[in-house]
Amino acid sequence: MTTGPGRRARRRPGARHRDHLIGWLLVAPALAYFVIFLLYPALSALYYSFTDWNLRTEASWVGLANYADLLFDDVKYPHFWKSVSVTLQYTLIAVPLTLVAALAQALLLNAVRRGANLFRLLLFLPVVTAEAAVGAIWRWLYDPQYGLINTLLGLVGIPGQNWLNTPELVIPALAFIAAWQCGISMIIYLAGLKGIPGSIQEAAVIDGAGPWQRFWRVTFPMLRPTTFYLLVTGVIAALQVFGLVYVIFSGNGRSVTGGPEQSGLTYVLHLYLFAFRYDAMGAACAMSFILLVFIMIVTALQFRFVRQEAA
Amino acid sequence: MSRGLVRGVVVAALVSGLAACGGDDGGQGAGKELTFWMYQDRTPQAGQVMERVRQDFEKANPGVTVKIVKIPKDDYNTKLGSAVASKSAPDAGILDQPLVSKYALDGTIKEVPAGLIDEADYYKGALDTNRAGGKLYGLPQDQTTVALFYNRKLVPTPPKTWDELKQVAARVHAADANVAGMNVPKGDGYGAWMFPGIVHGAGGEMVDDAGKKVLFDQPLAVEALQLWVDLQESSPRKITDSDKPFENGLAAMTISGPWDVPTIKEQFPDLDFGVAPLPYKTEPAGNIGGEDSVVFATSKNQDLAWKWLAFLSDARNNGAVADAFGGFPVHLKAQVPAGGPEQAAFLEQLKVAHARPAVPQWIQVNDEIIAPAIESALTGKATAQQALTDAAGKTRSLLGWNG
Repeated sequence: MTTGPGRRARRRPGARHRDHLIGWLLVAPALAYFVIFLLYPALSALYYSFTDWNLRTEASWVGLANYADLLFDDVKYPHFWKSVSVTLQYTLIAVPLTLVAALAQALLLNAVRRGANLFRLLLFLPVVTAEAAVGAIWRWLYDPQYGLINTLLGLVGIPGQNWLNTPELVIPALAFIAAWQCGISMIIYLAGLKGIPGSIQEAAVIDGAGPWQRFWRVTFPMLRPTTFYLLVTGVIAALQVFGLVYVIFSGNGRSVTGGPEQSGLTYVLHLYLFAFRYDAMGAACAMSFILLVFIMIVTALQFRFVRQEAA
Repeated sequence: MSRGLVRGVVVAALVSGLAACGGDDGGQGAGKELTFWMYQDRTPQAGQVMERVRQDFEKANPGVTVKIVKIPKDDYNTKLGSAVASKSAPDAGILDQPLVSKYALDGTIKEVPAGLIDEADYYKGALDTNRAGGKLYGLPQDQTTVALFYNRKLVPTPPKTWDELKQVAARVHAADANVAGMNVPKGDGYGAWMFPGIVHGAGGEMVDDAGKKVLFDQPLAVEALQLWVDLQESSPRKITDSDKPFENGLAAMTISGPWDVPTIKEQFPDLDFGVAPLPYKTEPAGNIGGEDSVVFATSKNQDLAWKWLAFLSDARNNGAVADAFGGFPVHLKAQVPAGGPEQAAFLEQLKVAHARPAVPQWIQVNDEIIAPAIESALTGKATAQQALTDAAGKTRSLLGWNG
């Protein structure tokens, strides 16, 4: 059998060039998609972030003014920092809550013998439900008069709350909905659990470890790469939360101002309002790049400081 | 029979398709397609009205096809903004009143051609919402306003003044602690939109846009906000924050517009409610809303587009069209479609309705400054005076006004 180089030398001249051509043709659709729908819009947004633009007239170059005004001018952007703080609080509550809920569900599903597929379906349903329906359902569940949540709390003697209209409760209430929608994280955790060799668990049992010890000393450390992946992607998603708050607070045709006292005015909702309601597309583009940089920093920090190897 | 029908439809489609191809640029508007953007139909009947008017217009203008594109109201401005930015705006479309001056000032829409309409035929208030810099940039299609909805079981006679309103609300709540007297508007964009109508009811004003003066920190406006604060005593939030408190019989009164009348009647047939003009302090007043229609600067069929808009708002069609849009006619001679007894209250309210300030940044002031100020007064974090003084200061800074 001839070796690679010798064989290649006998092929027709130009064949290598043709291989390249075919390669390019094969990636062309993906490349075209990338350039047209990702790269071009992103670069345009970067350009427009340095302009004053209302979508209708020609954009005028203002340099770094949008960035400076967003960060320092609280007359033009009175709720910018509020939206930053709302988003950070949401992320800090929603991400851990989602991970805990997903892991708990995955552990239960992993343990269940009969009807696992049914439970998997039920736990995954919230993910595939349309956002508008999710909003409508939860507005009803959180209703101060008829809400199921308050009814359930009442059974254990906790007084009912006006969840979506009390500024302090808005973020926990939203985070709880996010945790309810943890199905995708749950599936990934479940895959992680299935990947832990049974022999390790058996060895722990033989060594006399109880269920609690087995979880903390074997299962959880073995899931560390999964947890790290879910943490990083979860933080990125939480920092960009939009659809949920939009549907929760825009019911009955009301204009979206982000809930009582802007307590649910998340960063991307704020960005959306400036882009499409207050005619400041340039500032909105600047906001999106501030968010991009922030997400990059947070992600880098996580890679630096969070343990990601399985123990 | 049915096969014959199918064949007929196919032939008709082919013929009309050929006609559309052949008639391109055939002069006199023949073979032209006109695109018109509007909000999605509120009711199936509204869709039928628009379809009827469209067919009438096409009959009166042979060779013209009107393509009506219906977009959900929540997405409309976003889609329109994107279309304008990408130079693919329709020929004509509906435009929310406060946007007309913005679009006019940057040349996105065309001025109404001289002689298209007789301005004296239209309600002045509605027509004025189309003006910018003294020129007319659109035609109104409907006008609307908000009024007081009251539950007849709890409120036999609607209050006329602020004092009566407070008394009635207190009486209702005293009789049953689980029922709120009034669904007081909240400090959100919607509440901030309704607030000026209350301020006018005390003889106050939000701004004097000619003199560039902010007036909503003056005593009359502060009294209006204080009214809402006082009403909360008999109208706890934990009741009124529930879903549809008025419809469910948990709030005896609420403020809303004619668009809610058919919805309530359909979904809550057992609710016995009436509509009355807004209670006032010194003079009857309210605020005006509604839809205007404009022709975009990029349209290739501008004459035809204006003809279509004038057709929609003329004496013959405007009654039905305005009703389809959920409001009242803007043409003085248009027939007001016979509606329920609620209609009288809205029509009376319209006579005293004030247009919102013609300040291009008003939407932002409404959402970002006035709404939070109302909320902080309603939740007791500031007095009405403190909240409005603070908001007025912010508004002056944002708009660059000194007064």
